[in-house]
Amino acid sequence: MPQVIRSPKVYDAVIVGSGAGGGMAAYVLTKAGAKCLMLEAGDWYDTAKESTMMQWPYQVPHRGAFDRKKPNGYFDPGYGGWRLPGEPYTNAPGSNWMWWRTRALGGRTNHWGRISLRMGPYDFKPFTRDGHGFDWPISYEDLAPYYDKTEELIGVFGTAEGLENTPDGKFMPPPRPRCYELMIQKACRKLGIPCIPSRLSIITQSINGRPHCHYCGQCGRSCATSSNFSSPTVLIPPAMATGNLEVRCNAMGREVIVGHDGLAQAVSYIDKKTRKENQVRAKIVVLAASTCETARILLNSKSPTHPNGLGNSSGYVGKYLMDTVGADGSDGFFPAMVDMPPHNEDGVGGMHLYMPWWNYQRQLRHELPFSRGFHIEFGGGRSGMPDVGDFFGSDRMLGGGYGVGLKRGVKKMWGAFVGFSCRGEMIPNEQSYCEIDKDLVDEWGIPVLKFHYHFTDEEIQMVKYARETFREIILTAGGQPLENYGPGDNWGIAQGGAIIHEVGACRMGADRSTSVLNANCQAWDCKNLFITDGAPFVSNADKNPTLSIMALAWRTSEYAADQVRKRNV
Amino acid sequence: MENKKQSGSLNRRDLLKVITAAPAAAMVVPGLAGESAVAAQESGGGYQPKFFNTHEYQTVTVLSDWIIPADEHSGSATQAGVPEFMDDWLNAEEAGGGPPRHHRRVSATMGTEALGSLTWIDMECNRLHGNDFVDCSRDQQKQILDRIAYPGKAAPEDVNAAAAFSRVRDLVLGGYFSSKMGIEYLPYLGNHYVEQWNGCPEPDLERLGVSYSEDWRNWKSTDD
Repeated sequence: MPQVIRSPKVYDAVIVGSGAGGGMAAYVLTKAGAKCLMLEAGDWYDTAKESTMMQWPYQVPHRGAFDRKKPNGYFDPGYGGWRLPGEPYTNAPGSNWMWWRTRALGGRTNHWGRISLRMGPYDFKPFTRDGHGFDWPISYEDLAPYYDKTEELIGVFGTAEGLENTPDGKFMPPPRPRCYELMIQKACRKLGIPCIPSRLSIITQSINGRPHCHYCGQCGRSCATSSNFSSPTVLIPPAMATGNLEVRCNAMGREVIVGHDGLAQAVSYIDKKTRKENQVRAKIVVLAASTCETARILLNSKSPTHPNGLGNSSGYVGKYLMDTVGADGSDGFFPAMVDMPPHNEDGVGGMHLYMPWWNYQRQLRHELPFSRGFHIEFGGGRSGMPDVGDFFGSDRMLGGGYGVGLKRGVKKMWGAFVGFSCRGEMIPNEQSYCEIDKDLVDEWGIPVLKFHYHFTDEEIQMVKYARETFREIILTAGGQPLENYGPGDNWGIAQGGAIIHEVGACRMGADRSTSVLNANCQAWDCKNLFITDGAPFVSNADKNPTLSIMALAWRTSEYAADQVRKRNV
Repeated sequence: MENKKQSGSLNRRDLLKVITAAPAAAMVVPGLAGESAVAAQESGGGYQPKFFNTHEYQTVTVLSDWIIPADEHSGSATQAGVPEFMDDWLNAEEAGGGPPRHHRRVSATMGTEALGSLTWIDMECNRLHGNDFVDCSRDQQKQILDRIAYPGKAAPEDVNAAAAFSRVRDLVLGGYFSSKMGIEYLPYLGNHYVEQWNGCPEPDLERLGVSYSEDWRNWKSTDD
């Protein structure tokens, strides 16, 4: 009995991954008439049934902590995490990368922050602008129509502001700011820091049969009413409705099988239930397994025509890996917020205001010790359900104590804090990449990744400036800054991979000797191979990647469908 | 303040059905706030601790109510089911259900520190009064607590005990304020279906000296 299951069926496209990029590829390709098979390494996830929206901590085991399958706890559909049993990875000495995997239909789109920011014109040509990093082979104008279409499909709220390198989108009306958000906005006005409505893929108006948001603040739990964006609620259903999509779960992508002509013929995957290999044949292969997983699949796809892995004649697969530059935990205590008249402060599951980068001109004049920007996110007050851990460390503010005084003190102080975070642009560097670790396989027999990852002074200086900025905002708003990061801990810069925005590793380019993909995210070495996740990115702007992943995936998928129609691939 | 105006495009009945349906995974856990905790106390305690031994659990029960007693506004820690919560939570932490999300000091579990605190408290009470904490008088118990309840003011020989007691306090507060009783006491008014979001109410706007009249939607309009 053959160990490898090979079906004679040839799909028009096999899509590896069901998240933002895989979901969008499925949406576009199925609507173009392609018969698609989507492979997902995790289990099926039924949002309407499984969302834990509106449950209370006292209704669930351990108040929602310590879920074996979900490191962020019971409420959060992040099945998997940075340490996934049976799926290890390694770090080179001196590196400390954390690699997040969400093993569920829809991947990270189930539990992400819904922050939907367009990259700006500068972000596509950073090298031309300031001599650092690399230019994309496409410009903002090439992607703008796809940003339009994506926003119109998924629904994003925001306002047109006309700010530098912060393109406005096709927006629904934003929700009004919360009390403390108005307070912080007022402080930002004094400091000349723009503080504008955020841009989140949470719908304030019903579209496409999806009811609008009901402001329970639980977006991160995935939305049982499809009122925020996730792949399983917005992309996969219309794709399935075409009749052209088959989804297979618990399918761990292993490698792309290549024919004698060097073209992709099939995708090999391990069925997690049976541990048997299957191979599914397709005319085109779309990889959207998430940046590092896609790079891993290519590196593991060795053949006589592609001895270093598929698509890797340049040697650039795995290279120039980037995560967002993050700094969290800059909290402020605000006496004015103590004992506020109680009200439901939840709103949507995310900030209603944010601060886009504002120092472009100063940087052109070399007035700052770092070259790129960050945006600021903030949150606090009484938004969000009380969690056990929220009350740890109360002695810091209250000095300790016990009794009625303590109880009343906690009540008084609750909701009087606002915390700030930055999300900034890392400049790609040669020391940050992933490769195959020759000494280890995972439980599916697939060689694992080894990571090399380093920040440079650029990123450290950015975080230092961010911390100083947060202190200024807090003080201007009448608050007391509470954190004390300093040079000894690199100002609390988040570990690589902790922000879970990794991109690069299979970058696009104009020159095939220094890139993996052409300007259409088509592999130089294998014309029927396309990548639609974050791997093609050439830079990692201070704009969370998901919206750009989807816009690019739409563009790539349209191109692929067009090429198939023209019989070019 | 919830605005119950209905939008014509929603099928409200179906929507509420989805929102209020209890998913299969949710279950009633021991030590729920209110009724079951009171009943357990009255019946002499039906809860069998898994992490603490019987004596430790008794000590935790007494300590919890020192930390959060009842007053005219809300019930005590035991009335909110805090001892059961603590035992269950620490048992889950011990069983390695994953690193505690909020305890970033990775090398120590809160269970270790809680047990250390209880052991020290009994040790001191026995040294001073020849009794375990639970058998000491209220005044004697208070004396011990006053030494370790204020980390910044603890005597040099008590600083570690104060740090450990802070973890016990953390657990009591965490358990109380995530219980139904505690959430209602804060009060946290969210985690509900809200038809229309109206933003910050008038009394809160006044308190913070902010308003919606300055155009929050258009940054450029504030330029001089």
